[in-house]
Amino acid sequence: MNNEILYLFLTPFIAGIFIFLVGRKSRVVGEALALLGTIVTFVIAFKIFIATTHGEVLTLYSSQLRMDALSGLIAGLVALLGLIASFYSVPYMRREVEVGAIQAERMGTYYGWFMIFLSTMLCATTVNNIILLWVIIEGTTLASIILVGFYWNKDAIEAAYKYAILLTVGITFALFGCVLLYSGASAQITGGGDPLKLTEIAKVAGKMPKSIVLLSVVMLLVGFGTKAGMVPFHTWLPDAHAEAPTPISAMLSGVMIKVGIYALIRTVLIFYPFYPIVSTLVLVFGMLTMVVGVIMMMMQDDLKRFLAFCSVTSIGYILMGLGLANYLGIYGAIFHLLNHSLMKALAFFSVGAVIYSTHHRRVSELGGLGKYMPITAVAFYVAAFALGGIPFFNGFVSEFTLFIAGVKAGFPWATVVAVAVAILNVAIFIHLTYQVFMGEAPENLKSAGIKEVPVMMWGGMLILAFLCLLIGVYPQIVSPILNEATKAVFATIAMP
Amino acid sequence: MQEFAKVISTISLSMIITSYLIIELRNLKYSAYVYMIQAMLMCTLFAIFAIDNPGLYYWAATAFITKVVIIPWLLLRYIKKTTDREFQPLIGYLGSIFLISAVVVVLYRVTHTYIGFVAPSQFATAEPFRTNLAVSLSIFFMGLYCILIRRDAIKTVHGLLILENGVHLSLVTLAPALRETALIGIVTDVVIAVWILLYVIYGIYQKFGSTDTLQLRGLRW
Repeated sequence: MNNEILYLFLTPFIAGIFIFLVGRKSRVVGEALALLGTIVTFVIAFKIFIATTHGEVLTLYSSQLRMDALSGLIAGLVALLGLIASFYSVPYMRREVEVGAIQAERMGTYYGWFMIFLSTMLCATTVNNIILLWVIIEGTTLASIILVGFYWNKDAIEAAYKYAILLTVGITFALFGCVLLYSGASAQITGGGDPLKLTEIAKVAGKMPKSIVLLSVVMLLVGFGTKAGMVPFHTWLPDAHAEAPTPISAMLSGVMIKVGIYALIRTVLIFYPFYPIVSTLVLVFGMLTMVVGVIMMMMQDDLKRFLAFCSVTSIGYILMGLGLANYLGIYGAIFHLLNHSLMKALAFFSVGAVIYSTHHRRVSELGGLGKYMPITAVAFYVAAFALGGIPFFNGFVSEFTLFIAGVKAGFPWATVVAVAVAILNVAIFIHLTYQVFMGEAPENLKSAGIKEVPVMMWGGMLILAFLCLLIGVYPQIVSPILNEATKAVFATIAMP
Repeated sequence: MQEFAKVISTISLSMIITSYLIIELRNLKYSAYVYMIQAMLMCTLFAIFAIDNPGLYYWAATAFITKVVIIPWLLLRYIKKTTDREFQPLIGYLGSIFLISAVVVVLYRVTHTYIGFVAPSQFATAEPFRTNLAVSLSIFFMGLYCILIRRDAIKTVHGLLILENGVHLSLVTLAPALRETALIGIVTDVVIAVWILLYVIYGIYQKFGSTDTLQLRGLRW
């Protein structure tokens, strides 16, 4: 079973290389290789997900590669969304070629980078080596820059530049943080332990000098926080999410920013028992992120930018849970991470379907689409209600968990702020849903002959909608998984 | 290592001066050449430190291949495709030199005096490692200054390279036992990042007609 770790990220990588070699000549070959690669990757990830969430810890190369329940959960999410996004990409990107937004010969490049991007995100969940973690996290950025700027028009290039420069500078801060952690741990580890291993660093977290810890935590928060879309380092996020092709937006928002959160969990949370200021710092950043995100959401007319700022708000919720530092808080953070991946990917796929059919993405240019696109409308309702935190949808359950955790951790003010943000969220999403899918369609849309999107697009949307509803109505179904993932986080934290 | 203390100090000082030049030279091609010189200085430093720690010879070789050969080649190639004149910066020569000097003096003094704050062990607080760390942090913040203040996209890449050289230099003190594989991973990422960034900047040049980042105002709020 341990070898599966290797297959997990090598499969999409090899598929990506093959697409670059042979898939660029034929669009169909590129598509077929991408679909095959994501299917095989999903099967491997699912096996790992089942094993790790049942308590098994997989290791390879003297634990340089290590997967526990948290890694397994995130790898499962990456593979699931990768699978759905690859199927979705086929009709979506073909349409982009038809309308002249993309040249047909560039499709191989799209699928090639898509698979490499998938591979880097999966690899990030497997490494137990602090420097390799940094290398791979930077790899996820490098693999996605071309995808962000794929339309290669003015806006797309601007987004790609901002994305590349901000994340690369941010991650250089994280490199300093990682080096400091490694050097701090090296001085403390005795008896042959490897100071590059995250699990070994965690064991001596309490022995490291406070100054080194604080400096490295600040550097890591800046670096991995930029990756996660944490305010004030989030400015790349709305541009990149809005200008990338929609399947890539779904991947960026659904899973890539979670990889940044994953890196923070592995490197920053290990200091919680020894330096309470670290968790307070994470909590404060979380609350700031949440508030700024929801304020910016209110100012958007572009659907994709709106969803991008909604991701900023959700990252705020996840950071809040992590900052609460109690079991329920971290459980809630992982729960919201899982839910957000599903509901935000669903929201982006639904918006992508709207763009596919109408060629419009501004809220002010849309309306009454429910009549013409019933499946997309249902999918969007589910995503909007889940993101808005309405009861019986998955977003509500994880947000409610975080509210309770805030009170239990002794931070009622955090709960009050989070509830206020949630109320605003509900109002914004109900308003948006009404504007886009209900009421009367504008004349230009009525005469445009709008139709529902192909099954390759709505099939994945319905799977995600089903999962959002299932978890919302019966949250106990994911409780064992979340408990295992939370226990995995605490298992790597040394206690004083 | 004490016998090389003066040489190390001189090379370290030269690294700060070359960072100044990379930032302040208005001709991007000359900045790239000075970057190459800075990279050679860094390789020399690694080689000197390698006398006590032979593992660092690999670092010197890796840095030579990536920073002296590949990255300057990429920079010069894309400068040739675009323009070698830096777009007028936001702050002029005098203001910029004053600002950088203030940052460097303060940072160097603070780091050198309170070295215990960043040094993980007693060993790292002694010379020449003390100077190495102070220089690394100064260079790191000079790179950050360049990224924040300059409006030319290619100059921003130069800033990123200075920033990264700051971190790379600190490894001698903070992580001398770091395995070559990890180091190769880091520098490979840097090379790919520079290549992709320059490719995107070439796109900016094609679409906007210059490498001025202040033009990139299409996406706001």
